Amino acid sequence: MSEAKSSPKGGGFQFKVRGPRDFYGGLALIALAIIAIAASAELPGQSGFAFGPGTAPRIFATLLAVCGGLVALTGLLVEGPPVEKFAFRGPAYVLCGILLFAGMIRGLDLSVVKIPARIPALGLVIATFSAFIVSIMGSTEMKWVESLIVAVGMTIFCVLLFVYALGLPFQLWPAF
Amino acid sequence: MLRLLSRAAFGAFVFAAAAIPAAAQDFPKRNITMVVPFAAGGPTDIVARIVGEHMSKTLGQPVIVENVVGAGGTTGSVRAARAQNDGYAIIMGHMGTHAAAVSLYPNLAYKPDVDFEPIGMAAGTPILIVTRKDIPAKDLKEFVVWAKANNDKVNMAHAGVGSVSFTSCLLLNSILQTKPTQIPFNGTGPALNALVGSQVDYMCDQVVNLVPHVTGGTIKALAVGTAERNPALPDVPTSKEAGLAAFQVTAWNALFAPKGTPKPVVDKLADALDKALDDPAVRKRLLDLGSDIPGKTGRGPQALSTLVKSEIERWAPVLKGTTIN
Amino acid sequence: MTDLLANLALGFSVAAHPYNIGFCLIGALVGTLVGVLPGVGTVATVAMLLPITFGLPPVGALIMLAGIYYGAQYGGSTTSILVNIPGEATSVVTCLDGHQMARNGRAGAALSISAIGSFFAGCVSTVLVAALGAPLTGLALLFGPAEYFSLMVLGLIFAVVLAKGSVLKAIAMILAGLLLSMVGSDLETGAGRMTFDIPELSDGIGFANVAMGLFGFAEIIRNLEMSAESREIVNAKISGLMPTRQDLIDSSGAIARGTILGSILGILPGGGAVVASFAAYTFEKRISRTPEKFGRGIIQGVAAPEAANNAAAQTSFIPLLTLGIPPNAVMALMVGAMTIHGIVPGPQVMTKQPELFWGMIASMWLGNLMLVIINLPLVGVWVTLLRVPYRLLFPSIIVFCCIGIYSINNSPTDVLIAAVFGLVGYWLVKHDFEPAPMVLAFVLGPLMEENLRRAMLIARGDATVFATRPISAGLLLVSLALLTLALLPMIRKRRDEVFVESEN
Repeated sequence: MSEAKSSPKGGGFQFKVRGPRDFYGGLALIALAIIAIAASAELPGQSGFAFGPGTAPRIFATLLAVCGGLVALTGLLVEGPPVEKFAFRGPAYVLCGILLFAGMIRGLDLSVVKIPARIPALGLVIATFSAFIVSIMGSTEMKWVESLIVAVGMTIFCVLLFVYALGLPFQLWPAF
Repeated sequence: MLRLLSRAAFGAFVFAAAAIPAAAQDFPKRNITMVVPFAAGGPTDIVARIVGEHMSKTLGQPVIVENVVGAGGTTGSVRAARAQNDGYAIIMGHMGTHAAAVSLYPNLAYKPDVDFEPIGMAAGTPILIVTRKDIPAKDLKEFVVWAKANNDKVNMAHAGVGSVSFTSCLLLNSILQTKPTQIPFNGTGPALNALVGSQVDYMCDQVVNLVPHVTGGTIKALAVGTAERNPALPDVPTSKEAGLAAFQVTAWNALFAPKGTPKPVVDKLADALDKALDDPAVRKRLLDLGSDIPGKTGRGPQALSTLVKSEIERWAPVLKGTTIN
Repeated sequence: MTDLLANLALGFSVAAHPYNIGFCLIGALVGTLVGVLPGVGTVATVAMLLPITFGLPPVGALIMLAGIYYGAQYGGSTTSILVNIPGEATSVVTCLDGHQMARNGRAGAALSISAIGSFFAGCVSTVLVAALGAPLTGLALLFGPAEYFSLMVLGLIFAVVLAKGSVLKAIAMILAGLLLSMVGSDLETGAGRMTFDIPELSDGIGFANVAMGLFGFAEIIRNLEMSAESREIVNAKISGLMPTRQDLIDSSGAIARGTILGSILGILPGGGAVVASFAAYTFEKRISRTPEKFGRGIIQGVAAPEAANNAAAQTSFIPLLTLGIPPNAVMALMVGAMTIHGIVPGPQVMTKQPELFWGMIASMWLGNLMLVIINLPLVGVWVTLLRVPYRLLFPSIIVFCCIGIYSINNSPTDVLIAAVFGLVGYWLVKHDFEPAPMVLAFVLGPLMEENLRRAMLIARGDATVFATRPISAGLLLVSLALLTLALLPMIRKRRDEVFVESEN
């Protein structure tokens, strides 16, 4: 890492985040490791010469925690660039586009997430078109007319390609 | 008999057409999806595709195979159980998903004998007991002696917990009263590789997967778990001939529709399946695979319903103690 | 030798039949198409086409399916280079330098060299299959669980070495990838591991979901926050479509070495082919005099892994044709296709059905020739695609990815999982973590853990088995040596000067 170019052993230890990318990155890895250890806590470990399902996740999660700790420590000791700002607009629209596609393509029972509703299966045409339009709004220089034309074109192209050329068994239109 | 019945049913169906909802009357109007809960190219998938192709001709609409893989076939079965019960979504279930799963998965999200309308048996594949080629036993009797004497040294391979090779080998073990070390593999291919390479001692699996290796001499076949010898392997004795009559097991595949599918629709599908199983080309293909095609009495919804019930009962004691959460 | 020539003559007489050439061409075309479309799996396509092959003569059917398989390997590199989306595990490494080359305006050279490298590898490995297929069969059988475990350890070390930044962070990413790969049901007991009782996770997370998310979606999200000019994939002027003379000289050695590595690893049915492409990349980086250029668009970084994965794709037919053991899901389908046609794949195919065996081998060479003829002119088309304004390109990529991911299992949940990995990938970039080692560990993790556990079961808990079996011990020694080489510069604090990417 470039932060190592600056003198790593500068002065006595003070609790100061010098390399935030490493520090918070390391902390997140530790968090992931803890989640993994918690999630595999109930799995049986070694019995006799059989490893058991729980052993490997626990070993690797522990190692990950150690690694995460070391990365975070680097962040404390070594000067590094700040974490870049996270954008909101792009990720939000792109994510919504993808979610829409997933929800529409064959319908989604929302009772899984404790909402007593159901998105009907809207089929490939509507799902593709919606995903395209929503995700293109994530771009700051989106133009409506152009986007609509390209969205229609892409939808037709996808239907021709996936359903007619490749013969994938997709539902095209809504079925109620 | 069944044909007569289905004719009668068809007659009744035509007669009562006016009273039946339009949906059932002109079924099928569009593609029928046949869910195969296993990977494409596997034994169940091949049976489904061969049978499905012919059913398309009878039904006048394409039958499209959709592979929904996962959790020993239960993922696809759950999806099929919850599908619209209009006959456009059917499933090619098998011995595992529609019988053994009940004992294997305590939290199984469907009941094979309750949540499905049986359509009919398609074809089964007999199970073969095979060993590595250099095992110190020339037949099943010697193998049994050897396996019992070396209980703590024997390695049994299987293609994954809940797979046909797993359940059928547990049946063998429960008959022999042995407890070998179970070496799990991810599918039949890798397990076979280990057996050919003599890394493990024996396994049980469907004939179709094993024929070339047995005829090629890279592994040894001890017995086939059916009443008659398999035409693909005429030299391999039946389990009865080899002295282990209790080992009777066939990996059957059968079609099911979701619960509540209208009877006329189920009958139409059963009739199409029946016609497929009578077609000489289909029969030849299935027989070449080493499959067992059910006789007339073994077909149809009623026979399948009985089979499912008896199979669920049969596997319960064998699989006791091996549950998957 | 005369036998070989006679056999090849028989093979070519079969393969050159107009019908079979036609099937080969269809297979190569469909394969290229499937490979180019992100996410649309080769497995799904071959499965879809399986019923069509019922009506074809068996040789033609298999030639067509084989064409789809290696055609997809060819096409898969295209999306890796153009939009940084690896379609299959084998093209993850191609992203590293291939996409950087595209950003430097050298997409044409990258695509061409990958086609040329693949063609060369295809030719050599086809001859290898023909000449050594039968004797090499034994190699696959020498590999038991212990050997596969050691091979996978070596693979993970490759993943450390190919990282361009901090070794510590690369190791952390590998561990995270290993953990992710363990989600799903346990092979030995069937118990659900880290599934949080979500049924969709009970079979683990699919490779395509992780790869599309971490590479495809994350890249798009990241590009969207840049200013309009710097966002276009190609901000440099697009220079020539064909590689320069210097490019060819630079990459010739890499292609040759990649071919050899790929050919050897492809023979191993238990995941050897996956290791091939990044073994080749790591090897090139190790022996290069300018290792710091790897990851920034060096042509060797494209040539070596592309040659290796195509060579491995060809030689992975050896275990299928000689042992009847399918090394991967596509091959398993081919076994299905063969059985449907009444051909029993196995040791006797070569003697009992020589026209099938040799016909397929000859068709592989023809197929490779067709692929290079199909792909070289397409380079121009692909490069033109990069001129499409990014604001229109990115929603199209998203839509393609969504459909592709969905088509694999017909599962909307898979699409959601990919979206989550898109966010994870975005976060990783912000914290200077590289996704490539994580994806590779994700692919190798199950192979490593399962073989470790199998080996321990068979050895009844005796861990010395890894050291006492010679092949396993050899692989572990190589791993140790490579790891030491990778760690040394870090310990000496010099790695940072050598490997660092010039950061802002």
